[in-house]
Amino acid sequence: MTRWFEDIEIGDLFPLGAHEFTEAEIIRFGQLYDPQYFHVDPEAAKFSHFGGLVASGWHTVTVGHRHMVDALFAEEYRLRSLGREPGVSGPSPGVNKMEFKAPVRPGDSVTYTLTVTGKRPSNSIPGWGLLFNNLEAVNQRGELVYHAELVGFSKLRDYKMPLRLRLLMALTRLPVLGKLLTRNG
Amino acid sequence: MNPVTQERRHYEDLAIGDVIDIGTTTVSKEMIISFAREFDPFPFHLDEDAAKASLLGGLAASGWQTAALSLRMLGDSFLNTIASMGGLGFSDLKWKKPVMVGDTIGGSATIASLRRSRHHPERGIITLDFDVRNQAGEPVMTMRLANLVELRDPSVPLVEGETP
Repeated sequence: MTRWFEDIEIGDLFPLGAHEFTEAEIIRFGQLYDPQYFHVDPEAAKFSHFGGLVASGWHTVTVGHRHMVDALFAEEYRLRSLGREPGVSGPSPGVNKMEFKAPVRPGDSVTYTLTVTGKRPSNSIPGWGLLFNNLEAVNQRGELVYHAELVGFSKLRDYKMPLRLRLLMALTRLPVLGKLLTRNG
Repeated sequence: MNPVTQERRHYEDLAIGDVIDIGTTTVSKEMIISFAREFDPFPFHLDEDAAKASLLGGLAASGWQTAALSLRMLGDSFLNTIASMGGLGFSDLKWKKPVMVGDTIGGSATIASLRRSRHHPERGIITLDFDVRNQAGEPVMTMRLANLVELRDPSVPLVEGETP
């Protein structure tokens, strides 16, 4: 995925690997960020409609994000080892949709897969593109745990900055004028 | 009756337009780096120089950390005071501005809708408009969350015309 924006094809599918959720890490994440009784207390959780301890949906999502970042670095390493220059991934402007479908219980193994569903150059940030990705998380029984529609920034390789922008950039580097320009910008 | 939640507010006690003040949290450099190491190890969340050279312009929290800290505030101020049955997900999450070292984030959640589940009459579905801002009042994150809440009395029929 750390490919240049231009090299990413719609429909490209990236397996991101799997993670087994232990009771200890479910409780730890719950205590830090989502201390509802069915995320932190195995005994009290028996009274919930889950019937036992389940991971916070945000826990399964952040672990999925970690798997995505690791896959980006692995791809970067692979490209460099082939003597090619990898692309640049930027931050994310948001998530269009996230649906938690099945609970994750201690011992469950969740497998994450990312599919590129769309891309376009950014309107707000010159030189960058937006990638639209679908992330699916499935447990060891093949049940969908969550699916998400994610958006991420990716740098353009072939971008030629328009002359007026290049001029403006050069002017902002001048000490006095630069301060005035960036203050107004 | 669920003994864990029986004293808490239930679906019947909530109203559209209710506003929850979630309080504030200050985000330190140590918090940013420790979260990023575990969940989001991009250089712009780990290293000040790399962050300055990135679109974020300086060391900034992972968007997922902003979300997780906001969720914690919502849990303490609201979800643990009602008979919550867990989240269903969210939509339109927007990270509007990076959360930088030393920023204090906080804000509100407003109940945007309430409805009964048709398939599970003991469950209500609430949606919350989450508005998280920094100390300058600038929005840093917005989203619409959906959460399940127990009904105190599921025997009450669904209101005519109500859709699940």
